[in-house]
Amino acid sequence: MATNYEGGGGGGGGGSGGAAPPKSIPSGDDAVWADAAPLIEAACNDLQEGELVHGENFSLFAAMSALEIMDPKMDPGIESSGYCSVDEAIENGIAPVPLSFDRTVDVKHTLDVMDHLLACEATWHNGHSLAQTVFSCIYILRIERTSPHPLLHSYCRVMRATCNAVVSAVSDARTHEEEDLFTMSYGLPLKDGGDDKCLSILNSVEETVSRQLQFESLQTNPDLEEGYCRAVLCRLRFRKHFYHALTCMRKPQGRGLELARKHIAACLSELDNMFKSLDFLRSHSFYQESAVTSTTASGCRPIGFDVSLNSRLLSPTPPRAVKVLSWIDAVSYFEKLLHYLDTICSFSLDPALESVLHFIVKFQLSQPPLVARAHLQLLLVHDGKLYGRDSFSDVIARSLALPDVTKDKEFQTNEFVLQLGQLLINLIKILCANTAWQRRKLGKILQDWSVISIQLELALKREFGELLNSSVDESVCMKVSKHLLMWAQEQTYWIALRFLTLGFELQLYSPSEYCMVYWYMYVIFMKQVETMQIRIVAGTRRKGKKKRDHHARDSGRDAMASSYCLLLQCYMCLSEGLAMMLAALRNESNAFQMPNIFNSEQERFIQHFELLQKAQVPEHISYHIFKESTAHACISDVVKHNYFREAQRIAASLKGSFSADPERLAELRLIEQVAEHNRIALNVINQVGAGDPTLRVPLEFTHHNHFVVAVVKRS
Amino acid sequence: MAAAECGGGSPAAAAAAEFTAAEIEYVSYGGEHHLPLVMSLVDDELSEPYSIFTYRYFVYLWPHLTFLAFHKGKCVGTVVCKMGDHRGTFRGYIAMLVVIKSYRGRGIATELVTRSIRVMMESGCEEVTLEAEVTNKGALALYGRLGFIRAKRLYRYYLNGVDAFRLKLLFPRPDPALLSANKDGRHKQHAENSAESSPIYI
Repeated sequence: MATNYEGGGGGGGGGSGGAAPPKSIPSGDDAVWADAAPLIEAACNDLQEGELVHGENFSLFAAMSALEIMDPKMDPGIESSGYCSVDEAIENGIAPVPLSFDRTVDVKHTLDVMDHLLACEATWHNGHSLAQTVFSCIYILRIERTSPHPLLHSYCRVMRATCNAVVSAVSDARTHEEEDLFTMSYGLPLKDGGDDKCLSILNSVEETVSRQLQFESLQTNPDLEEGYCRAVLCRLRFRKHFYHALTCMRKPQGRGLELARKHIAACLSELDNMFKSLDFLRSHSFYQESAVTSTTASGCRPIGFDVSLNSRLLSPTPPRAVKVLSWIDAVSYFEKLLHYLDTICSFSLDPALESVLHFIVKFQLSQPPLVARAHLQLLLVHDGKLYGRDSFSDVIARSLALPDVTKDKEFQTNEFVLQLGQLLINLIKILCANTAWQRRKLGKILQDWSVISIQLELALKREFGELLNSSVDESVCMKVSKHLLMWAQEQTYWIALRFLTLGFELQLYSPSEYCMVYWYMYVIFMKQVETMQIRIVAGTRRKGKKKRDHHARDSGRDAMASSYCLLLQCYMCLSEGLAMMLAALRNESNAFQMPNIFNSEQERFIQHFELLQKAQVPEHISYHIFKESTAHACISDVVKHNYFREAQRIAASLKGSFSADPERLAELRLIEQVAEHNRIALNVINQVGAGDPTLRVPLEFTHHNHFVVAVVKRS
Repeated sequence: MAAAECGGGSPAAAAAAEFTAAEIEYVSYGGEHHLPLVMSLVDDELSEPYSIFTYRYFVYLWPHLTFLAFHKGKCVGTVVCKMGDHRGTFRGYIAMLVVIKSYRGRGIATELVTRSIRVMMESGCEEVTLEAEVTNKGALALYGRLGFIRAKRLYRYYLNGVDAFRLKLLFPRPDPALLSANKDGRHKQHAENSAESSPIYI
């Protein structure tokens, strides 16, 4: 369909029949240019309106991929700068080396290049391709050319080495399915063996500029103003420390984390200096763009960049319009990124699984960028071990809190334990991905966890048969197997709850669906609490001489487990309370009725909980059970049951247990607030009467991002 | 595919057109003469680029799923859809929905979509799906009222970096127990033990 139709004619058949082909693209040995315009025109005249050429491989579906040549929305080439290649652009003086023969101007231009590169880098991190951002810089595309210019050369080399390091990290993490544009570097000169010496080059440049600064500050008529020296120095130092920080973070088993933190602190300090250089640079330049939109600190447009040069390296789909972030936004982005990296580096590498999961969940709350998430994942799972240090069999053993198993060789090599270890690795990786993708994957793995629980149960029955139900003389092996099964079920419920609560964060539920979601959460919390309680109680039944030795440590672990169990009960009360309150409102108030045009609540229930139902998490739950539980809910009954008061009571009782944990204390406070507001709202509704037509009850996430608060309004 | 364009609430800066609902004429795609109307509406309103082949794909293969809304001879809205087998499910898909600005907020988009969905339902579709920008409150409200849920969130789905929701409407399935009891095999509506009113099918 597409032809090599060069020249200025418009789309379709019209145009310059007989125009000479352009000289810029030569004919090859086997190819010669010929003007196809007359042929196409004749073919077009042969077709009536609405007729299509039909071919074996050209169906209507295939035709959708066709592009209209020269349509700016579809044809990336039409917006080109006019240069067909990097060499042509260089020949036309787009990226001169040096950037100017005037020393000061040269430094100014170099600073602009550095700044625009930073802006490009931030733009790349935020979802665009390398080809259209960092590698739109001709100095980076042809780094060898910059060798005579130490400042530019060293900056470009460290820049490229950094990009390479970041691409490697994200590729290794392999949880960036929807963000795969990030690692695309086809056709780009990203890797170069010589780049590992880049830091030493940068160090010597830094030293030179530093000495320059000292020298110039003593001059009455400085050759190169102090302000420029400072501006250059902080940018060089930021580059250096950023590269070091990333390298340190990749050291296995967290060996480089402490040093990484020092580099991160240095980065933040240099970013601050860079920001401070803004005034000086702007005051020394003309023709400025507004500081809010400019990609450089000076406000001048940088030389040496051409976005369209790499257009042939991009995929053939319509190109995304790349709007490079402003320099100020780029600096903010790096500040944010560095704080996330610092949080990762400050993690205590707690061997307890619960702490790991809790850390990841908390980390993800503020939606950290891809680069941060990838580095977290690489720290947590390395070489098939937690932190590259603890085998996942050990992790599971510790999580089971059964003292006997930790060193047990048989346990370590048990096939179920190994499988569960793999599932845990997969879970951690998924939890480090962006929340939209994460939720879909969590829904899918429920099936895997459910299957392994079933297999465990079957194996238990096979091995121990009738002995299972008697608690007399339980062998160690049987006890461990039972605990393993319960533990697997608890993790499955944890995953299911994460799946459901992420739905709130991703705004997947409309208010009319909150009732069924909270109800499902209540059911799962209940099962999770049940299973956990059985396991804790069973675990405290210890026999033998070892009891006294381990008592203190074990009872500490038990207490923590009991506290966590109580916390779950708290959530359970909140969920049940909200589910019943919303059900009652729906039953008693016209305002809460949902129109049923093409389907009913049942279909929406089936869809939302499809993956949970498929994996039977938990078993025996259906829409009919939901209806039975909520069909007769009324406000006065909900008030009587006092779910929210119960949640408050438990939360208050837990404050002592969590006194050393400020985060948990904060969470308890939030729970109390949510419970209190809802309790009050419920009382008001009860007094006014749910059927009152002036009553409005908007639901808001003012305190907690999963548990909604009912606000009562009269209109 | 293209985010549905519809304004929820009152039309903003553009002066609202004056008309009554009865003045709007809804027409099923009738042929080549309708194609430029559909194309110009969609081209004007949406930023995603479509070639003429994309339009032809939809209107040639599923003309009964494309509807146009006219006011006094002027085309003011359109919906373009398809349906087919998708991994073992017979599914409808709403590709484009546009109503020109001055006519928004008056139920035209709802009517267009409703007509298409009804045809899909009658043709045996099990579900209907589409994507919409997470920021398109009007579209989300419209589809929400029709029974669509937000099944998934798609990170940075659109060229401009905005996330999308995949919206899905599941039609009620006939109860297998009722089916076997029914001699002539016609599908019946699900009998429900629910406290709420039974579904209204228009």
